Amino acid sequence: MPNLKDIKRRIQSVKNTQQITKAMKLVAASKLRKAQLAILEARPYAIKMMDVLNHLAARCNHDLHPLLDVREGDRTLLLIITSDKGLCGGFNGSIIRKTAQYLKDNAQNENSLIVAGKKGNDIFRNRPVEIRQDIIGWTKGFDYLKAKETGENLATLFAEKKVDRVFMIYNEFKSVMQQEVVVEQLLPVIPEKVEKKDDTFVVDYIYEPDEETILDQLLKRYMTVEVYRAFLESSASEHGARMTAMDNATRNAGEMIGDLTLTYNQARQAYITKELIEIVNGAEALKG
Amino acid sequence: MSQKLILSVVTPEKLLVSEEVDQVNVPGSEGDMAILYDHTPILTNLRSGQLSYEKEGETITLVVSGGYLEVTDNRVTVLAETGEFLHEIDRERAERAHANAEKQLNQTDLSEEEFIKAQKKLFRAVARLENLNNN
Repeated sequence: MPNLKDIKRRIQSVKNTQQITKAMKLVAASKLRKAQLAILEARPYAIKMMDVLNHLAARCNHDLHPLLDVREGDRTLLLIITSDKGLCGGFNGSIIRKTAQYLKDNAQNENSLIVAGKKGNDIFRNRPVEIRQDIIGWTKGFDYLKAKETGENLATLFAEKKVDRVFMIYNEFKSVMQQEVVVEQLLPVIPEKVEKKDDTFVVDYIYEPDEETILDQLLKRYMTVEVYRAFLESSASEHGARMTAMDNATRNAGEMIGDLTLTYNQARQAYITKELIEIVNGAEALKG
Repeated sequence: MSQKLILSVVTPEKLLVSEEVDQVNVPGSEGDMAILYDHTPILTNLRSGQLSYEKEGETITLVVSGGYLEVTDNRVTVLAETGEFLHEIDRERAERAHANAEKQLNQTDLSEEEFIKAQKKLFRAVARLENLNNN
């Protein structure tokens, strides 16, 4: 027979937890709204940028710019984006799993990492892989300038031939309930193949002021925009994941409280019955 | 009038315009341009200034600063750094920005980078005010 007092204490403790998860859910929901808006508004720009770059890269000469340079080497740099805080379900776990899988599959390459977020750093610090840079605390006040810094850093590493390829691994925001881990090649920029229709040919642009200047600026801008977008996607995903996780936790806590309350009532009932039997027995004994 | 251009103006913060239009006038880095149907592909820088487009006889004006313009297959894409519709500009703020930029430029100990930054700021402020004064 479980002790009544113990059950009561359990119920109280679960209730407290539920209160916390509920509050966290609400906080995540309000942060999510902001993050969602930011990513939805930033996406068109990133997509258009990609379009322009694709058109351009399909036309121009690839020797023109170091960031288009496809090299044979196998030094790969991964930018992985995790969160600083936990309690967001599988958000960090899936990123870390994907990264570990990638490192395993490409073990013959010379891999290095740039890890954003405390959670990712905690894990990869103890693994046998080089971490070039850690970006801890990005979730607080991330902006375009910070993205620019990171983007330019990546571009420099690539242009100076310290790495041969750059990938990003991050959570793409699908919906509030859904995030998808994507691995995206950032550098060298791969142009999509432009479909050539038989009777037309690709006309080169008129460039003002000139091809090289524009290409250079555009590529730098592209790096920043892509990094910025990846971070925004991540941020929205994180809040979404946390909200879902906390919603589940709150619901589970509710269920647990229900179960415990039932047990408590049963125990109380049993206790009362037992006491009644004792009284009746006592009365019987006196009568006899 | 089925020959329309598809215009989209985007900034990192927002998709500003996505419409079918008849004509687009842009402030190119080498001079202003008007783009009509069947324009040849072009890729150019933009400077701070006034971008307008005509649609069914109506002219709508935006103030953009910096960025790129691409034209292919009658699609006009403007990737601007910032952009706002003329009627949304806050005059007081624009004037303040203008005064600030001027003050900065008057300092003598600016590094080249700072100078360019301040100069850009000034151009942006001038573009905003110029358009306000014209209307």
